[in-house]
This record gives sequence, C-alpha cells and structure tokens, in this order.
Amino acid sequence: MTRRATQVFGSATAFLVRTRGNAWVDVALLAALGGAVFGLTRLAQEWTGALRPVFEIDLSPWALPGYAFLSLSRGLAAYALSLLFTLAYGYWAARDRVAEKVLIPALDILQSIPVLGFMPGLVLALVAAFPRSNTGLELASVIMIFTGQAWNMTFSFYHSLRSVPHDFQEVATLGRFGWWQRFRWVEMPSAAIGLVWNSMMSMAGGWFFLMVSEAFVLGDRSFQLPGLGSYMSVAVARGDRGAMVAAVAAMTLMIVALDQLFWRPVVVWAQKFRMDESGQAPEMRSWFLELLRGSRLVPWLARGARAAARRVERRRRKRRGAAVRPKASGRGLGVLSAAAFVGLVVLLAFGSLGLVRLLVRVPAAGWHGLGVASLLTLGRVLLATAIGTLWTVPVGLAIGLSPRLSRVLQPIVQVVASFPAPMLFPAVVALLAAAGMGLGWGSILLMLLGTQWYILFNVMAGAMSIPADLREAARIYRVGTWQRFRILYLPAVFPFLVTGWVTAAGGAWNASIVAEYVSFKGRELSADGLGSRISTAAARGDFPLLAAAIVVMAVMVVLFNRLVWRRLHHVAEERFSLAR
Amino acid sequence: MTAIPETVLAPEILCELRHVDKEFDQAHGPPLRVLQDISLAIRPNEVVALLGPSGSGKSTVLRILAGLTQPTRGEVLYHGEPLHGLSPGVGFVFQSFALYPWMTVLQNIEAMLEAQGLAREEVAERATRAVRVVGLAGFEEAYPRELSGGMKQRVGMARAFSLEPEMLFMDEPFSQVDALTAESLRAQVLDVWSPRDRNPKSIVMVSHDIKEVVYMADRIVVLDANPGRVRTVVEHGLPRPRDYRSPELLQLVDHLHDIITGMAMPDAAAEGVAAPRVFEPLPHAGAVEIEGLLEYLDARGGREDVFRIAADTDREYGRVITATNGAELLGFVETPHRTVVLSSEGARYVKASPAERKGLFREKLLELLLFEEIRQALERSETHRVDRDFVLELIALNLPNEDFERVFHTFVNWSRFGDLFSYDGKTRTVALH
Repeated sequence: MTRRATQVFGSATAFLVRTRGNAWVDVALLAALGGAVFGLTRLAQEWTGALRPVFEIDLSPWALPGYAFLSLSRGLAAYALSLLFTLAYGYWAARDRVAEKVLIPALDILQSIPVLGFMPGLVLALVAAFPRSNTGLELASVIMIFTGQAWNMTFSFYHSLRSVPHDFQEVATLGRFGWWQRFRWVEMPSAAIGLVWNSMMSMAGGWFFLMVSEAFVLGDRSFQLPGLGSYMSVAVARGDRGAMVAAVAAMTLMIVALDQLFWRPVVVWAQKFRMDESGQAPEMRSWFLELLRGSRLVPWLARGARAAARRVERRRRKRRGAAVRPKASGRGLGVLSAAAFVGLVVLLAFGSLGLVRLLVRVPAAGWHGLGVASLLTLGRVLLATAIGTLWTVPVGLAIGLSPRLSRVLQPIVQVVASFPAPMLFPAVVALLAAAGMGLGWGSILLMLLGTQWYILFNVMAGAMSIPADLREAARIYRVGTWQRFRILYLPAVFPFLVTGWVTAAGGAWNASIVAEYVSFKGRELSADGLGSRISTAAARGDFPLLAAAIVVMAVMVVLFNRLVWRRLHHVAEERFSLAR
Repeated sequence: MTAIPETVLAPEILCELRHVDKEFDQAHGPPLRVLQDISLAIRPNEVVALLGPSGSGKSTVLRILAGLTQPTRGEVLYHGEPLHGLSPGVGFVFQSFALYPWMTVLQNIEAMLEAQGLAREEVAERATRAVRVVGLAGFEEAYPRELSGGMKQRVGMARAFSLEPEMLFMDEPFSQVDALTAESLRAQVLDVWSPRDRNPKSIVMVSHDIKEVVYMADRIVVLDANPGRVRTVVEHGLPRPRDYRSPELLQLVDHLHDIITGMAMPDAAAEGVAAPRVFEPLPHAGAVEIEGLLEYLDARGGREDVFRIAADTDREYGRVITATNGAELLGFVETPHRTVVLSSEGARYVKASPAERKGLFREKLLELLLFEEIRQALERSETHRVDRDFVLELIALNLPNEDFERVFHTFVNWSRFGDLFSYDGKTRTVALH
C-alpha cells in the first residue's frame, strides 16, 4: 500500500520537478535568444558604422563585456567561414579525383604560409573596397582569423571522407543513397569527431590572430577595431595595470565560457559518432548539454525542423517523379566541379603571376638578407621547440601518468593553451627590459609563450594512452626511473611528441612575426630575423620585400615539414606506435 | 514419377555470370588475377553456396553479381539483360555487419527504406515488420555497439529483409557470430526464404564452413584459389529441414572433403623422370604454425584427418591446408588422401633440441630453389646483402601467378625462423646470417 503511494507521489513530484526545471531552462534560453538578437543589432551598427581608423577605447571595466562580445563575434564569424570552407573544399577534394591532385597540395602550401603575412595586403585591399564603413576592416579581421583556423579542419575532414570504411560505402551504394543521403548518413557522421576536435583547436589558435588583427600599424596608418585586443593594447600604451589584468581576466572568462557552453556540449554530443565498437569508452559529460536536454523548447524546435525538412524532401521528390535518379544529379555536380576546378586553376595562375611580378623587384641584396634572417629565425624556432620539450616532457608525463593530476590539470592546460600569447607580450617585454635581455633571445621566450602548450598537451595525451600492462611490467621488473624513461615513457610518447612539435614549430614561425618586432611604450623593439623583416616590410609598406619574406618563410616551413617532421612522423608510426 | 514442375524444365534465370575474369592492379608488377573464367547462374527458389578457402575470390563473385564491382572481362546478366550498375533485386548481408554506429537499430533499417523514396508510413511499417521477423522487437532504440555479434547480424538481416529483395546475398554471414547463435540465424534465414510466393526467391551465400553449406544450400559451388576458379558444382536435393547427423548429409560432407583435399592437397605424382627444378610457390603459412602442426600430429600418434585438425583447432580449413602444404613442401609431413602424416623427418624435428631444430629447418629451406638462389646471390655479393626488390623480382619472374608480396613475406618469415637470412626492414635488405 505504502509502496503504491510512494510510487504515485514519487512520479507526481518527479513530474513537478521536471516541469519546473524545464521552465527555467526554457526561460534562460529565451533570454539568451533575446540577448543574441540585441547583440547582432549592435554588431550590425558596428560593421556599418563610419570608418574610424583610430577608435576611442574606453578603459573602464564596464566596457569590457561589450568588447569581449565584439571579439567573440569575430572569432565565431571566422569559425563559421572556416566550417563552410572546410565542408565545401574537403568534400570537393575527396570526391573529385582530378581536382584532388591540385586541391590537396594547394592546401598544404596555404597551410604553411604565415597567417600574419596575409594581413597587410588583405587589410589594404578590403579597406579600399569599403572606404566609408567599418566593414572592410571587420572583414579583414575575420578573414585573418579564418586563415588561422581553416586548414587543419579541412585536412581532417578530407581525410575522414577518404577513410570512410569500405563496408559503409557499400551499404550506401546498395541502398541507393543519393549524394545528400550519403553525406548526411555516412560521410558527415564518419567525419564528425575529427571535425569537432580540430574545430576546438582552430578556435583556440584563432584567438592568437584576433589579438593581433584588432590593433596594428601599416605604413603611416594605424588601424583599430573595438575589441579585447585593442583594449589590451591601449591599456598597455597607457600603462594601466588594472585594465590589463581586467582584459586578461575577460579573455580567460570568454575562453572558459565558450568551452563550457559550446565546445564541451558539442564534444559530448559527437560521441555518438564513435566508430569503435566497444562500449567502455570513458563516459564524457557536459552539464550544459544535460541542461539543454531537459528543455522542452529545443526538442520542439528540432521536431519542427525535421518535419519541415521532410516536407521539402517529399515535394522535391514529387517534382522529380517518384524514382530516385542519382545519375542525373551526379552529372550536374560533375559539371559544377569541373567549372570550379577551371576557375581555381585560373585563379592560381593569376596569383602566381602577380607574385612573380612582385618578387622580381626585390634586389639580390634583399634576398641575401632574407636568407640570413631566415636562418636566425630557424634557430630561434628550434630553440623554442627544444626548450619547450625539455620542460614539458617530464611535466606532461607526471601529469598524464597520474589520473588524479590529469583530471584536475587537463582543463586548466586546455584554457592556458587557448589563451592568446600576444596579450601577454607587453608584460613579458617589460620583464625582459628590466632584466636587460634583448629581443634577440627574448623573442625565443615570446615564441615559447604561445607554443609550448601544444607540446605539453600532446605529451599528456601520450602519457595517458600508455597501456597499463606496459607500466605494470616496468614496475614488476623494478625498472629504475631513468631506464623507465628510456625504454618506456619516451618511446611511448614519441608519436605524440612529434605531433606536438609539428604544431609548436608551425606556431613559432607564425609567432616570430609578432615576437621579433614588438611595440612597447611607443618604442619599437626588434631583433633581426625573418619575422621582423616581415613586420618592418609591412610597416614600411614595402610590398615586394614583404612578398619575398613571406615566400621564404613558406618555403622554409614546407622544406622543414618535408625533410624533418615527415620523417620523424614516419619513424614514430613505424617503430613507436602502440596502435598495433 | 510425378509431373515435373514447369519451372524446372525451363528454369528462368535470375542472374548470371558468363566467363568472368577479375584482376586487381598491384603497386608494381602485373595485375593480380583473382577470378578466372567464372560462369554461374542463379535460378529461382534455390540456395546457392560459394565454398572456398580465403583467396578464392568468393566474396568478389558475390560483389560482381550484386553490381558492386565490375568484372575485368566477361558478362553479368540480370534476368537475361546485361547488368549496368547496381543489381535491382539484391539484399546484402555483410560479414562485418556494416551497421552505422551512429544510428539506432531502427534508424539503420529505416535509412535504407527512406533512400528508396518510400512514404514515411510505409518506411515505419516495413521497418517494424523486419524488426519483428528477426526477433529484434524491444531493441529498436539500441545502438549497434550495445549489441552482441549475433544481435548485430540480426539487424543486418532485418535491413536486408526490409527491402523485400528478390535475392538475398550473404557474405560469410555467420563467421563472426558464436556457434549457437549462428545456428538460430541459419534457421531464421531459411524460414524467411521458404515460402515460394514471397521474396527473397533465392539466396546466394559465401562460406568456408562445409557443414553450414551442406545444411543451407541446394547447390554448392566449390572454388579453387589463386586465381579463383569453379572447381566443381555439387547439386543435391536433400529434403528440408535437414539433420546434421543424417547419413545423407554426412556423406555429402565427406564428398566435399574429398573434393577439397583433391584440389588443395593433391597426392604427389609418381616419381619418374627427374622434372626440371622449378621455383616452389611458398604457401602463406607462418613457420610457427607449421611447427605447431608438427607438434599437434606428434601428440596424436603422427596422423590425423585434415578436417579433423581444422575442427579441433577451431580454424578455417583453408588455413590448416595452407599450413599442411607448407609442412609438406619442407618434407615434414606427407598427405595421403586427406590425412596428414608426420614424415620421418618431421618426427626427427619434433624430437630435436631447439638448436637442432633450427639446423634441420635451415637444411630443409636450402632444398628449396628460391632459398638456394638467394644464398648464392648473397655469397656472390661483396656486401653479402641483397635488396628486397631483387628478391621480389626473382619471385615475380618465376612465379607469375602468385601474389609476390605474400610470397616474400613467407620467405622472410621462414628465413628468420630458420636463422638462415636476416631481413632489415629499415634498409630493406636481406643478409646472410
């Protein structure tokens, strides 16, 4: 009797609790929606506002949320652009065997061009295109961030599409899936997890360029966009310590919020696209996703969207007749692809022609100087990577091998890794100046600031993936600490270390542009190197030299990738992979 | 004798292969021929089984019939017409299940139906029916990773049945399912097939399990390997339901055993005129496997039926035959009929100490022409090393029909085991040990 009562009341109260919870979630969601609409109107005002090369930045902490919102909107707009680019370019490259032969090498080259090298030309062109409004400058900033985000996402998507299991393809063929069904049911799900992880990485990398692209000097013109980056640079220029700390805090908060409210839920949701069959993968949770799942609004909207999609599909099918004819649409796509391919080749040809015209104007002495400078920067990049490795390997191992430490520290390292290093440059430069260290060595420290985290992160991941039985074997046979390093830990994390090196070195090359040439308290500090050559050429408006410097850097990066990293990667796969 | 039904007199043919060859391109060297001159017709109301060891291309035959793969030469017909693209009347069951892990059981089935352009209501109705037929009711919302192998294959079957295909193709459907579950799945497939007036009309299945084939099929196409050819077709009209222990069935199993061993383990021709020495194709069997076989035989009085060995060790009979062929090539066993007998050399090997074993193995290797030639080449070479490519070329030249990468793999495996040559994967060279 009592049991029945509790059952009845139990379910009744549960019902109450659930509705109350739902209502709160939905109210919050509606409020957020309202906020987003308000924000978008503000954004529209900002974009269409008159071009003000130097913006009056308000250093009061109350202005920070507004600036953070503007910066966030740029990051998200760039991400949306990257995603669109990734889907289109990756799909095209994976589906069209001829285009693939041009698209993939082109992507490889694009990836190795220093992002910051794009900036001057891009800004001047876009500002010229929109002389009256802020649109040009905003677009330039978004595209800059895009160039820092898109490539690795595209590579990941392309590789996922190319490695969809053969069986899955055969089922789709036998089921006569149209291209859209194949994309939605087979290809997109297969690529989802890789795309999500790379998106997270890209977004983190994007903040680096956001900071730089919001405030900079080109020739005699200085450009500024209202945002966290410009707030910070004004705070530094005025020496306002409080504002600097507030800006760093706002940036951190923004990264954490984006992680908790956006990436975390997406990562957890994407777990349903896991390929491995075992059910024992560590369960991942997101409080925000659970909250959303308690909402009534979201499923209601989703149902509506699904019904609408079905209606559209049915209408389309009626128009085309009942039978599905994939052949016809296939031919249409083929024509489209061929046209786009020709367009791309023409564009590439024009681009290279223009580049050659610029490059022939560089005197021999200029090339010689660039050669010397590139060796200097190469040395700095390697030193930064080496120093980064020296401290991150023991620390990363210590964290990764201890489940307790890694649980606590992994999210923190993740936030630190996403934090844009250029924001901290002024503080570090001040310390360097106080210690009497020049930028020649100091720039190594600045590079390190942004790139060491990639190595640390990868070493941690490697340490966590060492199988328990290998560690137990080392313990049972009483292998000493040093020997354990040599025979177990280092080989096991080596493949991860290589991945970390590739990312860190790529980041260091990019960072050299801002690290070898720093404005500090109205003075320009610089150290000779390829990065500072790019910066000074941009500042002086010397476009032939700028183009030459960028080409040299791209060549250095490509050569280094081919000759060193790729070989190390091969060794790692052949000898140290634990996957087999 | 009663009147013979008309369909038997003028059997309509559902689909057919005529003189089909299939070649796959290799990285270097000539294309590898996996199928040679395959002709095969599928008639209504029959269960056809393709039986053969791995490497006989039986899955490829199935995929060509389904239109998933195009043959290099020859014709594919569907209802008498040349087949272009996908065959319209085929449901396919995969060895690996091939379920989309991001879809629930129901979604996996519904996606197929939706792609056919069926109305929503019909999609739901057919999917529910298919789920019920294979006994998956209650599992609709489960994800594949939550299911056992047997349950997964039920989903694979439901997916195929839901399309109500004219023919059901199954590619080793039960080889990744535990034995008891496989038993119930076999019965289920036959249940769905048996009503004459309903699809699927016919079933084509690929298998390497002789008992399964005899239990399920009316016609058994025995394939030979490297390249795949039709060896024999065994047609029988054993009544259903069949009993594994019935004398007719056991006799049929026995007959098939004879066919397979006659093909894969031919008794050596009488020694007469000394034939010119030719390169012996190395069977793709690991040295440890061969040694294991010798130990196995030694522990069973020195002789055993090859199919008994397969059943005992729970391996595909093709693998056991390959190991036996390897042991025979080295002179450690003899194979009268289908029995494997430990030779005197083999017996000596089993009794020898580890060091003596190496020596004996090495001695046997050098009796093979490939190893002998390589040894001479190594002695001629100043550095006492030869490139991998040199060995590959030698194999390709003398054994044009073999997959030379595989032969090389066996060559390295045996050389290392016999401590005869060493192979350095980094420099890709073979050296004298």
